Amino acid sequence: MDFYIGLLQVIGVHTLLGLSAWCILHTGQVSLAQGGFFAIGAYTAGMLTAMAGWSLGPSLFIAALIASLIAIAIGFPALRVKGLMLVVATTAFAEIVRLVFFNLKWQVQTPNGPIGPDGGLGFGGIRYFPANAWSGLEILTLIWCLVAGVMSVLWLLDRSRIGTLWRAVGEDEVAAQSAGINLTAAKVSAFGIGGAIAGLAGGIFSHNTTHIEHGNFTILLATFAIAYPIIGGLKSLLGTLIAVIFIQGFLIEGLRFLGDWRSLLFGAMILAIMLIRPTGLLSAPLRLPLFNSKKNAPIGNAKTGAHHA
Amino acid sequence: MLKVENLARYFGGIKAVDGIDFDIRRGEILGLIGPNGSGKSTTVNLIAGLYAPTTGRVIFEGQDIQKLLPHERANLGIARTFQNIRLFGQLSVWQNLWAARVVRETGWSGLKQRWFSTATQGKLETEAYLEFCGLEHKRDQLAANLAFGEQRRLELARAAISGAPLLLLDEPAAGMNSEEIDDLDQRIRKLRDQGKTILLIEHHMELVMGVCDRVVVLNFGRKIAEGKPEEVQQDAQVQAAYLGSDSDDAFMQAALQA
Repeated sequence: MDFYIGLLQVIGVHTLLGLSAWCILHTGQVSLAQGGFFAIGAYTAGMLTAMAGWSLGPSLFIAALIASLIAIAIGFPALRVKGLMLVVATTAFAEIVRLVFFNLKWQVQTPNGPIGPDGGLGFGGIRYFPANAWSGLEILTLIWCLVAGVMSVLWLLDRSRIGTLWRAVGEDEVAAQSAGINLTAAKVSAFGIGGAIAGLAGGIFSHNTTHIEHGNFTILLATFAIAYPIIGGLKSLLGTLIAVIFIQGFLIEGLRFLGDWRSLLFGAMILAIMLIRPTGLLSAPLRLPLFNSKKNAPIGNAKTGAHHA
Repeated sequence: MLKVENLARYFGGIKAVDGIDFDIRRGEILGLIGPNGSGKSTTVNLIAGLYAPTTGRVIFEGQDIQKLLPHERANLGIARTFQNIRLFGQLSVWQNLWAARVVRETGWSGLKQRWFSTATQGKLETEAYLEFCGLEHKRDQLAANLAFGEQRRLELARAAISGAPLLLLDEPAAGMNSEEIDDLDQRIRKLRDQGKTILLIEHHMELVMGVCDRVVVLNFGRKIAEGKPEEVQQDAQVQAAYLGSDSDDAFMQAALQA
């Protein structure tokens, strides 16, 4: 039972991470900085509860806010680079964040001994959940309430003015500009909202694991973050969730019985998915009717491939 | 309405546009023609703000718009289409128009339009322009899946729906058959009758000569003629630019002998 609760917690946190990348991918930008924003959220929230003694709610809020502000700051220089150059630039940022936390030593004395980030040894003792006697199931409920909340907000956002503008920018920047769309506002707002969601996910993550270290936030994490929405399909939010369940639940946990062969099959399955459904698992026409209101459907009937720039 | 003063753009040593002046008067259809590489598209990109000029100014409604970004110019009232169609390919026909319309709605009204209302001004206008481009029956199709002529019509409607009084149409007839060109002719006139001012960049002489009130002719980045279509057609320099001339031969011979 504990195993399944733990797995569902991981799936919830990774869904949030995937949704943060979804926002930015919508504007046609591929960002590998999501792991960095996630790390910032994780350390910020952890420091607020464990070192400053805040309660969880405000800590998560501040973690999301700080990650969002830093994402906005990254969004502005990112306006000047596109495509592969943006991938390189955001990768560099994520590495900077990781190395800052690798070197960060800042501990405070508490009755239980020193607590705080301890460089390469990591940041342990983020014991808000155990200290307040939260059960695994309660943590799980909190995580999935947050996932549901974030998904609802993004769903409304996608149907609103800003969603249309994000998609338009993602389709063709020059045409979007000429139609009067402010590129800076569209791209930076996507970074800001994506950063906030990643920060929130990080905050939950650090409290759930109670110990974090720089090794949690490598480029692999950022790769997963963008893989979820791409594999799930950018056209619906549910695609991201299904991709997380597929990767974390099926490929990583479900295939454990294969032993060493698992990693091999993992890669092969991802390749197979991209071959069979190049625009993602939930791209048309396997779309759920829920997301297809009759009028002004956000989606058409794409039969063909790539999301071209 | 729009005034171009001594506008020039060099790409390295190539003088794509080399100091041209003309103005667009309110309510007219101005043709901008010239042989390939004469600087027509560069001129449009300079007016729309995609390129910064090497020298010169663009003045719109008495305001120097040199410092404005493309989207600011669009919001000020200069909309355009592209020579190689640029639609939002993976968005539906309806959304292509909606994106250009909704950008005019700021703050709450934009959000409200999308969520709470069934027949707001923006939606009615979007419907009207859907009808204008004759794609009501394809409203939910992806723009990328439309036929070529339909894509051109949609792009024209997307420029028109922005509410901009000035439309820059960059070779809207490229790749069209004569039937489609007649159709385009009608639509351009319809837009003019709605009060739009139009700058038409075009190769297709029949369309230009038929629909334009005045024509500006470019060659090698310079303006070589301006006037009513029939006057321009008679102009010796214009004929030389399009057909080649004896004087060119004479020049070449002189050059060879020297």
